Amino acid sequence: MKHLIPELEALKRRLPPHQDGVLVLPALRRIQEDRGFIADEDIDGLVEWLGIPRIQVEEVLSFYSMLRRAPVGAWHLQVCHNVSCSMHGAERLLAHLEERLGIACGETTADGRFTLSTVECLGACGGAPVVRVNEAYREALSVEAVDALLEELAGAAPPDTPGGWV
Amino acid sequence: MPGIVIDGQALEAADGQTVMEAARAHGITIPALCWHPALSVDGSCRVCMVEVEGRGLAIACNLPVREGLAVLTDSEAVRAQRKLTLQFLTLNHPVDCGICDKAGECLLQDYHYAYNATPSVSNEPKLHATKHYSLGERIVLDNERCILCSRCVRFTREVSGSHVLGIEQRGDTSLIRPAAGRSLDEDPYSDNVIDLCPVGALLSRRFLHQSRVWYLTATPSICPGCARGCTVDVWHRRPDWQLQAVATHRNHAIARVTPRENPAVNGPWICNKGRDLADLLERLRALQPMVAGVPATLEEAMAAAREAIAAARHPLALVSTWGSNEELEAFKEHLGPLFTCRVKADHQRGPGEPGDDGLLIRADKNPNTSRARALFGEAPADTPGDTDLVLVWGEGFDGSTLPAGATTILLGSFEAPENVTAAVFIPLSILTERAGHYTNFEGVVSGFAPCFPAPATVTHAEELFPRLVPEGGRP
Repeated sequence: MKHLIPELEALKRRLPPHQDGVLVLPALRRIQEDRGFIADEDIDGLVEWLGIPRIQVEEVLSFYSMLRRAPVGAWHLQVCHNVSCSMHGAERLLAHLEERLGIACGETTADGRFTLSTVECLGACGGAPVVRVNEAYREALSVEAVDALLEELAGAAPPDTPGGWV
Repeated sequence: MPGIVIDGQALEAADGQTVMEAARAHGITIPALCWHPALSVDGSCRVCMVEVEGRGLAIACNLPVREGLAVLTDSEAVRAQRKLTLQFLTLNHPVDCGICDKAGECLLQDYHYAYNATPSVSNEPKLHATKHYSLGERIVLDNERCILCSRCVRFTREVSGSHVLGIEQRGDTSLIRPAAGRSLDEDPYSDNVIDLCPVGALLSRRFLHQSRVWYLTATPSICPGCARGCTVDVWHRRPDWQLQAVATHRNHAIARVTPRENPAVNGPWICNKGRDLADLLERLRALQPMVAGVPATLEEAMAAAREAIAAARHPLALVSTWGSNEELEAFKEHLGPLFTCRVKADHQRGPGEPGDDGLLIRADKNPNTSRARALFGEAPADTPGDTDLVLVWGEGFDGSTLPAGATTILLGSFEAPENVTAAVFIPLSILTERAGHYTNFEGVVSGFAPCFPAPATVTHAEELFPRLVPEGGRP
């Protein structure tokens, strides 16, 4: 994360003094955006830069399921399986994705292109069922729409960072 | 000074106080699990809920006082809310009080009886979590009993400053955990979290399953581990619950040590050395008076000592910094005129032991250096070359500094090789067998009381000193 410090320093300058602890979350988001996940050395770097106890970073990391401690595939498909999406067939979509990709939920394809997981409510119940593809939402999906999505992703250039912005 | 009303009682609060603080200042107890007077406000347990008249329910620990504020601490609405809160707190709590060390002094248990006293209304199976998570060599954590009050976390952040503990994960899977690669062993004040824990989640390995707390009683004492002289409670078996047939040695053993709150000395805390007083005081005792290494009666040993003192021309006395004020004064009165007196450090700072740390721990590992120096001066405890007799009271005497031909009289409590080589050895009682006072490095005087009877063959120093004066004094 060392190369991110100059831009994070700019963020720090906007804060009142002695409030540096609040930078943990934006810094972790920026690190994940940059590397695709948060590595041990990122935690060490953050602890050193902010001068805060390590446990403070670990608490934040374990609290937010959006922060990853391990790399994912180029395309991270997160199937919402909360109430609204489940009622609209999320489990069916998940089973179909498992079959099409040949992996179980939580796994990454051998070629490193896809990671499949479930996620709790994405706050888009109006568009249920929802699958989050990296940073974007795909809403009101059917099995056919998922097939079309996979085809589209197969032809698309992967993002610079696995699981990151396109 | 806002005037507020608690349960119909008008009282003056201080500016900036919370309702919790104002109530306690006037002797009104509002129940709470996460709130602690020496820690920041967390507001997570919701047990201190009170009814603000005209406004509804609010937590007292985080409710600032203002002029005219009227609260009820035990109204119908408060009791109903507290009952629900306790239903939630015990939702995943194992309620295994029968095998829990905290039972009998557990706040959750007390509040359950006081405010809930009904079985769980939930039909869901309880969530399971780690049962014996090691937090180091001193403490184990039972995550199922934990109610996530965060007192222990706040202690390591706000008091001891070790920042070892935190809460990881979220919701009902939250867990108290140490930071990666760290352990509570790094924190010399870690055992305070055992007392702070309002339930039986943080357990002392030393005390684990050793006794039900209602079989124990606490005697006020002083930790002799350093010059701070923290006031402590020494817990030991109650006289009416003495063991009769098995493990009877436990009747006269230290079961555990906890802080005795004292704003003038140690506040509500002590360090881990204080918890381990048994390591200091339950070492192998010297119980037999001896003359030249040969067992003797106390009378014979005292007679031999008087003879040696009467015959000495340049006698030196090394005075104990573990002696009480009373003992030091008795020594000064009776033996002071007969000897050149020097103050000796009975204990030195051990390897790896902390020095002055700005919180409680002091580098001087003796409890009464302050009074000893006031009575006997600051001169270093070295031995002049013409010394022909050394009276050593207590530990920490280096026999190699003794001039050739000089004899020693030893007054001590513990087994040591030099007891046998001394001309006279007389065994003394220890801290837990007598009453007295210590003066700490800041001049604060605190008292200690006896926990156990002294063994028949040992003497109290205060009674011994007048009996060591030779008939007619020293020529």
